[in-house]
Amino acid sequence: MSLGSSWISTFPGYYQALEVLKSIVTSALKTGKIPQHVAFIMDGNRRFARKHHIEVKEGHNEGFNSLAEILDICYKCNVKAISIYAFSIENFKRSPFEVKNLMKLCERKFQQIIDHNDLCEKYGIKLIVSGDLSLLPDSLKNVLTNAQELTKNNSNAILNICIPYTSRDDITHSIRDINENNQNNKVIVSPQNYIDSIDEDCISKHLYTKDLPPLDILVRTSNIHRLSDFMLWETHLTGIYIQFLDILWPEFGAIRMIWIILKWSFIQYYNQYFKSI
Amino acid sequence: MAETLDKSTTANATGNQLTSSNNSNDNSKNDNMLEYPEILKRKGFVPKDLSRSTKNPGKTGLSTTRNLIRSYVNPSTLVNDVVDLIPGHDKSSEEPNFREVLGYYFFHSILFIMLFFFSFYRGVQYVGNRLKLRFLSIAYNPSKSPQIIRDDVLKLPKIPKRVSSVLSLKPDQDEGGGVEGLINDSSEITAWCVAAGIQYLSIYEYNGVLKQRVPELRRSIHKKLSQYFGVNYVPNFVVKVPCLNLTFNGVDDDFDVQSQGFNNKPVIEISLLSVRDGRSTIVDLTKTMADLAVKNELVVDDVTIDLVDKQLTNLVGVEPDLIILFSPNLDLQSYPPWHIRLSEIYWEPDNDEVNYSVFLRALQKYSTCKVNVGK
Repeated sequence: MSLGSSWISTFPGYYQALEVLKSIVTSALKTGKIPQHVAFIMDGNRRFARKHHIEVKEGHNEGFNSLAEILDICYKCNVKAISIYAFSIENFKRSPFEVKNLMKLCERKFQQIIDHNDLCEKYGIKLIVSGDLSLLPDSLKNVLTNAQELTKNNSNAILNICIPYTSRDDITHSIRDINENNQNNKVIVSPQNYIDSIDEDCISKHLYTKDLPPLDILVRTSNIHRLSDFMLWETHLTGIYIQFLDILWPEFGAIRMIWIILKWSFIQYYNQYFKSI
Repeated sequence: MAETLDKSTTANATGNQLTSSNNSNDNSKNDNMLEYPEILKRKGFVPKDLSRSTKNPGKTGLSTTRNLIRSYVNPSTLVNDVVDLIPGHDKSSEEPNFREVLGYYFFHSILFIMLFFFSFYRGVQYVGNRLKLRFLSIAYNPSKSPQIIRDDVLKLPKIPKRVSSVLSLKPDQDEGGGVEGLINDSSEITAWCVAAGIQYLSIYEYNGVLKQRVPELRRSIHKKLSQYFGVNYVPNFVVKVPCLNLTFNGVDDDFDVQSQGFNNKPVIEISLLSVRDGRSTIVDLTKTMADLAVKNELVVDDVTIDLVDKQLTNLVGVEPDLIILFSPNLDLQSYPPWHIRLSEIYWEPDNDEVNYSVFLRALQKYSTCKVNVGK
């Protein structure tokens, strides 16, 4: 958090005051309009490590801590679903050593979630994994399926982990699924009827993200103005609030997130009261 | 009925609140009216006919507020513990008590105070942005000379090969609005691209009005290029409409390039895109593939990213390196989703006109970014 390192933080009772302020603001935000689905591209862990002269592994660790903080504040504000871009299919091109480390880290963190289950229990989070699981090592795959199985009855909120995911793969997967359905469906409806019934909704319903509410906010850190193959089908519509931030992911904290939600709800109220007249 | 509905869902009031707040989004017109929670009504705080004015109170207005109140009072918070200590307070009671209602309105007013101050901040920011844009448009003015643009671009370490610009149709009565304004803007951008040495330009406009006005667009581009490069050296260009598979060469169909005494090779290719090239093209592709699969001409396992990419590149075009939005905020307006994978997106906050300074700053931003797919 950027405020944590400034001179103000040296005052006694600073953190307590900050916590109280945070809880007042979240209670206030909760009474208004709140986004249904927020997606994050967690970019900049390695740059953070380079900047602070720590190991890449430590950088990823910092990223996880920052993620926990963000998840906490979002669920406190009653955000229904959160998607995180944990690992892209393209990321397999990184050095095998780093890929292995990342996989291990993911495995450890998700194992923690399963073992303690506090975050999921506290907010009633259902875990969903989006992506081509067949590309992952078996141990991680098992952990992820376990985690999904364990939380499948929770209904308050959703955490969607995109691993290993790319949006193009997702769209292709959807097209393939529709084709498969078509071939299996021959007896029930005639293929021609089925082909005629294909529309945008049909593709949306076959995406990995089919169970999630429509996207409201997309956040990307580290000042890169690109979507990098994440949620293309969802983001290209009018009304999606895309935020490109100029900080690295481990520096992203609760205060920034509150600020984004405040900006978003300002736009919603503005559109409701001024654009409709 | 609303009562039973509420009872069954108190357990996950949080989820309930979200769905009902969604309802209120849909019925935003009803929402402009003041909503009174049940408790106030029962105590006679609300005039009777006002409460009747909401059409189906159980479903939209009142239950929204009640659920909001209920979800605000998290079971773990102190407020509820205190409430439980009050003698005679029935824990199982479904009605939010007065304290809860008060708490809700207290925090709701805090929200509106925050939004009120935010609107001041936003106003200052808007004025700042407009001043900056004004200054930039004076500082960078191509004054219809390709030499100035060339000088600006030569300083950059790299320029994009394919540029896409997103334009929007403005109302007719605005300055530079209407279809004529749009055509003028498009030809202006074309001239900048030719001067900067960009070979491929795609122009996205949501409704596709440009596609219906291709002859005018070609004439306008020709006119603009002759203003920039001189009447004797008008560069040749190609206009493409990918969704109709049409290609137009030069200004007129009977335009004889040889008689111009100038190299007849087109220097720029302009493709016109609209919402039609987005999701609907992907849907059409899916239909074609399903059709082929039924005829056993396509195996499902053959449907790969490469195949889809090849087909969509044929149907719409190659993914642009840089997308320039000439809109006040970052709004992709249903731009073809397959084609924004690695494109750098540039927009200038609070800018609403097609301006050379925006174009140049987009190129400058692009020249500093580095694309590393996954690595």
